Amino acid sequence: MNSYYLSLLVFSPLLGIVLLALMPKSNEKGLKMLGVLATLPATILALLAYFSYLGGKDLASFSEQVNWMRFSDFSAIHANLFTVKYELGIDGFSLLMIVLTSVLATLAAIASLHIKNEWKGYYMLFLLLEIGMLGVFTAQNLILFFIFFEITLIPMFFLIGKWGYFNKEKAAYSFLIYNGLGSAILLIVIMVLFAKTGTTNIETLKVLVNGGEGQTLAAMSESLKMGLFIALLIAFGVKLPIFPLHSWMLRVHVEAPPSIVMLHSGILLKIGAFGLIRFGMGIFPEQFETLAVLIAILGVINLLYGAFLAFIQTDFKMVLAYSSISHMGIVLIGLGASNEAGVQGAIFQVVSHGLISALLFFLVSVLYERVQTTQMNELGGFAKSMPIASGFLLAGAMASLGLPGMSGFVSEFMAFLGLFKEMPILAAIGALGIIMTAVYLLRAVLSITYGQANREYAGIRDLRSFEWAPVLVLIGLIILIGVYPAVLSQPLENIVLGIGG
Amino acid sequence: MENAWLIPLFPLLSFLFLLLFGKKLKEASAYVGILLTLASLVYSVIVLVGRLTNDTYKAEADWLQIGNLQLTVGFEVNQLNALMLVIVSLVSFLVHTYSKGYMHGDERFPVFYAYLGLFTFAMLGLVLSPNLLQTYIFWELVGVGSFLLIGFYFHKDSAKAAAKKAFIMTRIGDVGLLIGMILLFWQTGSFEYDEIFASVQAGEVSGTMITLTSILIFVGAVGKSGQFPLHTWLPDAMEGPTPVSALIHAATMVAAGVYLVATMFPVFAASETAMATVAIVGAVTAIFAATIGLTQTDIKRVLAYSTVSQLGYMMLALGAAGYVAGVFHLMTHAFFKALLFLAAGSVIHAVHTQDIEKMGGLWKRLKFTAPLFLIGTLAISGVPLLSGFFSKDEILIAAWANGNYVLFWLAVIAAFFTAFYMFRLFFMVFTGKPRSEYKNVHESPASMTGPMVVLGILAVISGYVNTPWFGTFLGDWLVEGNEALGHGHIEGPAWIMIVATLVSLAGIYLAYLMYMKRSLAQDWFTSRAPTVYSIVNNKYFIDEIYQSTIVYATKAVSLFLRFIELFLVEGLVKSVTGIVQGLGKLGAKLQNGQVQAYGTVAFVGLAVLMLIFALTGGYL
Repeated sequence: MNSYYLSLLVFSPLLGIVLLALMPKSNEKGLKMLGVLATLPATILALLAYFSYLGGKDLASFSEQVNWMRFSDFSAIHANLFTVKYELGIDGFSLLMIVLTSVLATLAAIASLHIKNEWKGYYMLFLLLEIGMLGVFTAQNLILFFIFFEITLIPMFFLIGKWGYFNKEKAAYSFLIYNGLGSAILLIVIMVLFAKTGTTNIETLKVLVNGGEGQTLAAMSESLKMGLFIALLIAFGVKLPIFPLHSWMLRVHVEAPPSIVMLHSGILLKIGAFGLIRFGMGIFPEQFETLAVLIAILGVINLLYGAFLAFIQTDFKMVLAYSSISHMGIVLIGLGASNEAGVQGAIFQVVSHGLISALLFFLVSVLYERVQTTQMNELGGFAKSMPIASGFLLAGAMASLGLPGMSGFVSEFMAFLGLFKEMPILAAIGALGIIMTAVYLLRAVLSITYGQANREYAGIRDLRSFEWAPVLVLIGLIILIGVYPAVLSQPLENIVLGIGG
Repeated sequence: MENAWLIPLFPLLSFLFLLLFGKKLKEASAYVGILLTLASLVYSVIVLVGRLTNDTYKAEADWLQIGNLQLTVGFEVNQLNALMLVIVSLVSFLVHTYSKGYMHGDERFPVFYAYLGLFTFAMLGLVLSPNLLQTYIFWELVGVGSFLLIGFYFHKDSAKAAAKKAFIMTRIGDVGLLIGMILLFWQTGSFEYDEIFASVQAGEVSGTMITLTSILIFVGAVGKSGQFPLHTWLPDAMEGPTPVSALIHAATMVAAGVYLVATMFPVFAASETAMATVAIVGAVTAIFAATIGLTQTDIKRVLAYSTVSQLGYMMLALGAAGYVAGVFHLMTHAFFKALLFLAAGSVIHAVHTQDIEKMGGLWKRLKFTAPLFLIGTLAISGVPLLSGFFSKDEILIAAWANGNYVLFWLAVIAAFFTAFYMFRLFFMVFTGKPRSEYKNVHESPASMTGPMVVLGILAVISGYVNTPWFGTFLGDWLVEGNEALGHGHIEGPAWIMIVATLVSLAGIYLAYLMYMKRSLAQDWFTSRAPTVYSIVNNKYFIDEIYQSTIVYATKAVSLFLRFIELFLVEGLVKSVTGIVQGLGKLGAKLQNGQVQAYGTVAFVGLAVLMLIFALTGGYL
């Protein structure tokens, strides 16, 4: 069963970190080049895994296990009781997340070429962050998940705090406090589960927790399960984020460098959704069912709250930040529907929003690089000076507002399809969000690209050299998913059937 | 017919090709666009001819698997689709040709042709769709094409506002369509038209659900076809280049709403309420927009309101169970309205203004445009022997036969208004004294007049495919093999045709008296009822009403939520950080550097531990 493929994939950025450590600080070109190259092995391995899966390879064959920690010796009762293994594995959903993570990491590394100073430290932290993200999606037990989860926090803290904009320190601290509290709650849940069942393996927990009375080592009352589930909802709700736990994420969106926001908005927020689906739905399906209405309501609140607030922002980055909140509402809506269409829609939305927000934030970095502002009242008329970038910005906005033929539509459509089956009235209220999304996105994007600028921006250049790569890859993937959604739905078949059935 | 799916792909190819290479091709881009739409046109005609002799063809492939649900994509060539294919590709081809002259010299010339390609692709895809989901997909895409072309002159704030408005207003309707279609899906288990119809006809869907879903779907049609109360975007859409107005906002996309209702006709027909809604909205829009058309002075806006009004006619026909009448009028209207817009474009091209009060006496200067414009005007006014006469007559008969007498008379009055304002337009532009500043006005190049001639011929003869005198070929063919669509021709009393003719002639005569002969003062009405005039001239203040209700309400909600954000959510943040800071300060006190304090704590702690040890005897 041991293939080491996943370990190699997850830890491949480590090589880059080591090499970067050996390079002189001042070698800007070399550091940047190495930083970008170091993300490639993971991307190649992830894509290989995806294509070999399409070619018929069994995902279980990627799993690996090594004995790691053992708390006392209960092997007389059960070989694995109170042991924690180092175990990695993937299913269809995590396969998609790994591909998304590695591709976005490469593109964000390219976007990081806009970074102006301290490239060495930047890229080392960047690669460490990538290890954390890849690990989160492959970890097969909760302890390992938690460790990788924490690994994402620390580099992120420094990346925001050091390379961000004016209020970067404040943003970094509020990021750390909120996510620290979230992970503290998560840790409590993990420890309670470990104490009660003697295992943290996710697949085993799925069976044990739902096996009725007497299955677990110590009895778990229904109210305890519900309590644990609510704690999980809060822990991942901070990450997603769910209203009213979102304010840290606005600061990060605005203050962090755009290349980091690509990863933050594209991947890190998705860990919240991933956790809710994998652990919330997986380990506590009955509790999830009970609270499904609440989750759907929270989804509609997120959707509308984010949309209405995005409508009155004056900073384009704030518009995108609120738009992320709004779009995460669609994930919750799909999960709240908890039928096949809804869950598949939620997962599609996770991937789709990752691509779309990465595209939009990349364009933000392109724009900021040239005009040093994202205040919309100072911008305008860029369709004239940078027609190509403006065209892509408009395309990104169209994808974001759910234009058919692009990925956003497929996910939005399925999430609503699911919710209309279960709670039609709530879904109809949520559908207002579809209108509002168009309203705020067009307002924002047109005020940048159409019309006239308030002040003169002379000699601005359109997309150049390396800036083409992220834009083309992202828009290509967005359209691919929109036109041929089977690229995503095929790996998800079993998962969705398992949940919906 | 098996390869009909290729038809939309030619314009798509044009779009992609021009996006990539347009910059190098410059104005040669026009040939790419023209040739590829010509390919679509030729193929569409072949498909139409094929459909005349063969049965409906339908093909599908899997698209999206959701658990056990399987959604498909495909295409279907039935009578309506085949007819629409030809109308769309023909008008698109003519507009492509016309634009070569009209857009000459524009620095974004290739982009214009690229957008035209995108739109044509989406529109052709729309009319081939065999299911509601695919229809919705292309429905949105035509909206984007329209949006891009309305905002083509992006540096103008008015164009920007118009593009945004068009997209958002139609999206309001689209959400209705989306909800309706999803609800219908959970009722019938399918998005496929034929399966939905079978399920509805088998009585598997409750009556209320049919009414609800068909009205929701109709909301989508209202948005797209500029029906009251979602009509306000369409006149503003005239900010786009005039060929675009002809293609999108007259002949094809705005007719998509009518097409949708026609396609879904078996579902609508199953609900009396839904049919009545369609008919009433149609009739109200027809007369409402016609009255506004009476007062406008911008040549394109007059035509825009007349489009809204004519689309209302089509809806009225469908709502009155006149399936054939609605589709027939869709076809004739596409030809004569595209003609009118292209001719108006030719006028604008010549005199560089859109204000009809600044025009006059152009008849002699524009030797091609003027007579062609006259043909279009006669056709839309319902003058006998031209195409509009026959199709409008069918609609009036359908309304009468269905027993909607009030709606019938509304339509008759609207016909009178139409004849009046169209000839008002004609007389003001082409007759009277030539203005001195227009001495150097020239007729447009052949690339522009050519397409107008083709449309002019069609505006005259296209009515003869379906007349009570020579046979109702179109009608019989359209409903063949599908009883749910009603009869190919509805018999009506002969006096309707006479009334329609008289009304239209009366409108023309009144316009003649006021604007040609000037024996009747032009402000005869306005001076007598200034309030009415002011209300109508301001388009019933609908825009202002929306501005002061919906737009403000949206802003108010946003501001209210910002209040929540600032006080509640930020309050939460403050309390969280406050707690953390408090704990931190507490912790900091432990490290105040005073050795005495450390010693005290250490000894007290030791004492407590020893006490516990003594009390419990070492066992906890």
